[in-house]
Amino acid sequence: MAVQQIAQISSNPVGERIDHDDDAAKWWMTVALFNVVVFGTFGLIAAVKMVMPGLFAGVSWLAWPRIRPAHVNGVVFGWLVPMSIAMFHYFIPRLSGAKLYGTRISQIALCIWETGVIVATLGLLNPWGGELQAGSLNPWWMTKGKEWEDYNAISNIIITVALLMVDYVIFRTIAQRRYRQIYVATWYAVGTLLWTSLVYVVGNWPGQAIDWTLHTYFGWDALPHFGFTGSNDANVNWFYGHSIVGLVATPGGIALAYYFLPKSINAPLYSHKLSIIGFWTLGAIYFWVGAHHMIYGPIPYWLQTVATVFSFLLFIPVAAAVINFLGTSRGEWHQLRNNVVFKFFIAGTVMYFLVSTQGSFEALRPVQAIVHFTDYTVGHAHLALFGFATMFAFGAALYAAPRMWKRPLYSEGIAEWSFWLAFIGITIYVVSLTAAGIYQGKLWMDYPHLPFIETVVAMVPFWHARAGGGAMMVASMVLVAFNVYKTATSPAPAETRVAAKA
Amino acid sequence: MAKPKAEQSVLWLGIFASLTMVTALVFTAIFPSYNNRWSTNTVDGAKYFRAVRADTGTGYSKLEEEGRLVYQREGCMYCHTQQVRPLRTEMIRYGIHHSPAPPADEREGIYDEPHFLGTKRNGPDLSRVGGKYSDDWQFSHLYNPQQMVPGSIMPAFTWLFSNANPADPSMAPVPSHECVALVAYLQSLGADRMIWDPALNGGKGGYRPWLLPQDKQNSLAESQAALMNAAKPIHAPRVSQ
Ligand code: HEC
Ligand code: HEM
Repeated sequence: MAVQQIAQISSNPVGERIDHDDDAAKWWMTVALFNVVVFGTFGLIAAVKMVMPGLFAGVSWLAWPRIRPAHVNGVVFGWLVPMSIAMFHYFIPRLSGAKLYGTRISQIALCIWETGVIVATLGLLNPWGGELQAGSLNPWWMTKGKEWEDYNAISNIIITVALLMVDYVIFRTIAQRRYRQIYVATWYAVGTLLWTSLVYVVGNWPGQAIDWTLHTYFGWDALPHFGFTGSNDANVNWFYGHSIVGLVATPGGIALAYYFLPKSINAPLYSHKLSIIGFWTLGAIYFWVGAHHMIYGPIPYWLQTVATVFSFLLFIPVAAAVINFLGTSRGEWHQLRNNVVFKFFIAGTVMYFLVSTQGSFEALRPVQAIVHFTDYTVGHAHLALFGFATMFAFGAALYAAPRMWKRPLYSEGIAEWSFWLAFIGITIYVVSLTAAGIYQGKLWMDYPHLPFIETVVAMVPFWHARAGGGAMMVASMVLVAFNVYKTATSPAPAETRVAAKA
Repeated sequence: MAKPKAEQSVLWLGIFASLTMVTALVFTAIFPSYNNRWSTNTVDGAKYFRAVRADTGTGYSKLEEEGRLVYQREGCMYCHTQQVRPLRTEMIRYGIHHSPAPPADEREGIYDEPHFLGTKRNGPDLSRVGGKYSDDWQFSHLYNPQQMVPGSIMPAFTWLFSNANPADPSMAPVPSHECVALVAYLQSLGADRMIWDPALNGGKGGYRPWLLPQDKQNSLAESQAALMNAAKPIHAPRVSQ
């Protein structure tokens, strides 16, 4: 890697020379990479337990239904969100021509955040409670029992505090910027942080825990509840759940691509206007589609229809982003041969297009009738959160780490391996589960009298393939984390210390 | 240090971004709970679906409420849904004695906090499982699902039993209080839904559509539709066989 590329010192329009120390970004990225290995491994354990239900039999905290939410929430709140935040700390000062406001505040926020993730994961695994112990049924501590809201009420409060501190640091940094125009990566970063904070509070309102406290300690059982119940609860659950997908993971990933994709191939952005269209349509449309998680469910019919229609409107922001990324790469395709960061971003872009197209059609009633409740959804979710969001995050990590620690990347060879493991792993994973889902859905649809267990046993070969693909995905996580770790801890080459770009 | 003029647009960015969220929240999450159909999502509407228990004044007894918390802590909802969709195949699969199960209703969940609708069926739907098996079957199944249903991938919840030692068959496991509560909750699911109220079925009382004798089953679809009251059908069940 050329020495100039590693240079950190830049100057802003006012002519000040700024040395970005990236201390906050380094902390967030380190913790995020640690989390992805831990929570990715949780996922692998769950996948293996599908084909070997006897594994760790009798160990309550390693039971499948405890590992599963720890994995799902861990990769979002332990890996994707912290990783996006890390990269915001990296590129927002550079795009603003100003130093990061409040490195120390951000580092404290990280410690609070990780405390929240650990408290929540312990609550989900519940290693001490459960075995016939009175008091282990405390809803402040155990899972909230709703997908994406699983983290316990205590940790929600902890994580909210950390989130607000990050908002403060990033927004203050943008406020002191020296460039007038706000580059679109910053737009997406602002959107991600704002939307995350808003929906996090709405979605994690501890209604059940408050009701339980009043009921248990004050004997107050009267309606109305402090929390939602039944269909209302499910509806708010999926308003939030889809916001986590579409307004946290998606703009968080797209922000990275808008900054790192043009940087990594040294090409200008294809169209600023298109990116702005994408941004506003994303915000205007994505919040409306939560009900497509409950097609045919006990919610009003019109609401389901609205969700399906908006699911198709989502083609607009998706096309805007994909056209922009591919347009930016025009004439640079030869770089795919040896630029591994570019490979990650192009693979991620393609999978973003695939998963969103798949999603739009998945939201149709006749399709939902068959694939809802099957592994098809799990394949879709992984194509999105691994194939798209994690691919982008890996690319960003491999691009930013050498520049933050001011050393060349430890090994291009390992980076290459991590790309191919991730790419082949996710392909096996998605193809096997998509086939499994359609197959199982057809069995349920066509043979209502077939014993349920027959439709479970039929899945076993697919689940073996999935566990294999999943193992490759975990291997790629380990390699990326190892590569960044070795980069950070290797001795700094002497010439980079003096290299400077005016 | 003069601030750049364009900073204002960050403020507008923030305001508009928040507005997109608030608009959708109002229309898709708040508004539906006041719509015509859903305004029946009250205690009054719910009584057609769940008998109100004397000891709690809600749809669940004290024991069942505790069982609900055990269900939540053990994460049964990650593998089991609690919604029968209005598809013919599903109403048949989750019905009892060849009588189709009624599909999930918006008013059913009024006492459910949190909801257990679920999104993934690693195991079958449980919303109509009450009364399908004996308590003993449920205990044995929770203790060792693979023994009851070969090939099952459901975890053995041995920690809900004392004296548990799956390796030694001579040990007799004893279900804990939590386990008893869980099974009481399972047995309440769907068991007294709908037609239990004499006011609704012309004084016949205790009438359960899926327990109709064989010769009456033909008229089931009509009687069900009628009994679910005029507003009921979400839409016509999809015939897909
Ligand atoms: C790993 C996923 C998984 C988890 C977690 C799980 N189950 Fe199951 N469950 C299954 C599968 C698969 C079946 C079908 C095979 C069988 O009957 O064992 C099943 C079947 C059942 C049945 C029989 C349903 C019928 O109609 O035949 C009941 C009742 C049940 N589970 C209750 C529970 C309860 C209660 C819990 C939580 C303590 C739970 N399950 C947790 C996978 C799971
Ligand atoms: C046009 C865009 C998209 C549409 C219309 C769409 C549609 C859907 C639908 C209908 C489901 C429910 C499937 C079911 O339960 O049977 C679903 C699930 C899911 N989607 Fe998407 N999707 C889109 C893009 C994305 C993206 C970009 C991501 C992530 C970054 C994503 C992540 C997920 C996840 C994680 C789930 C599983 C939710 C769960 O049940 O826990 N989707 N999607």
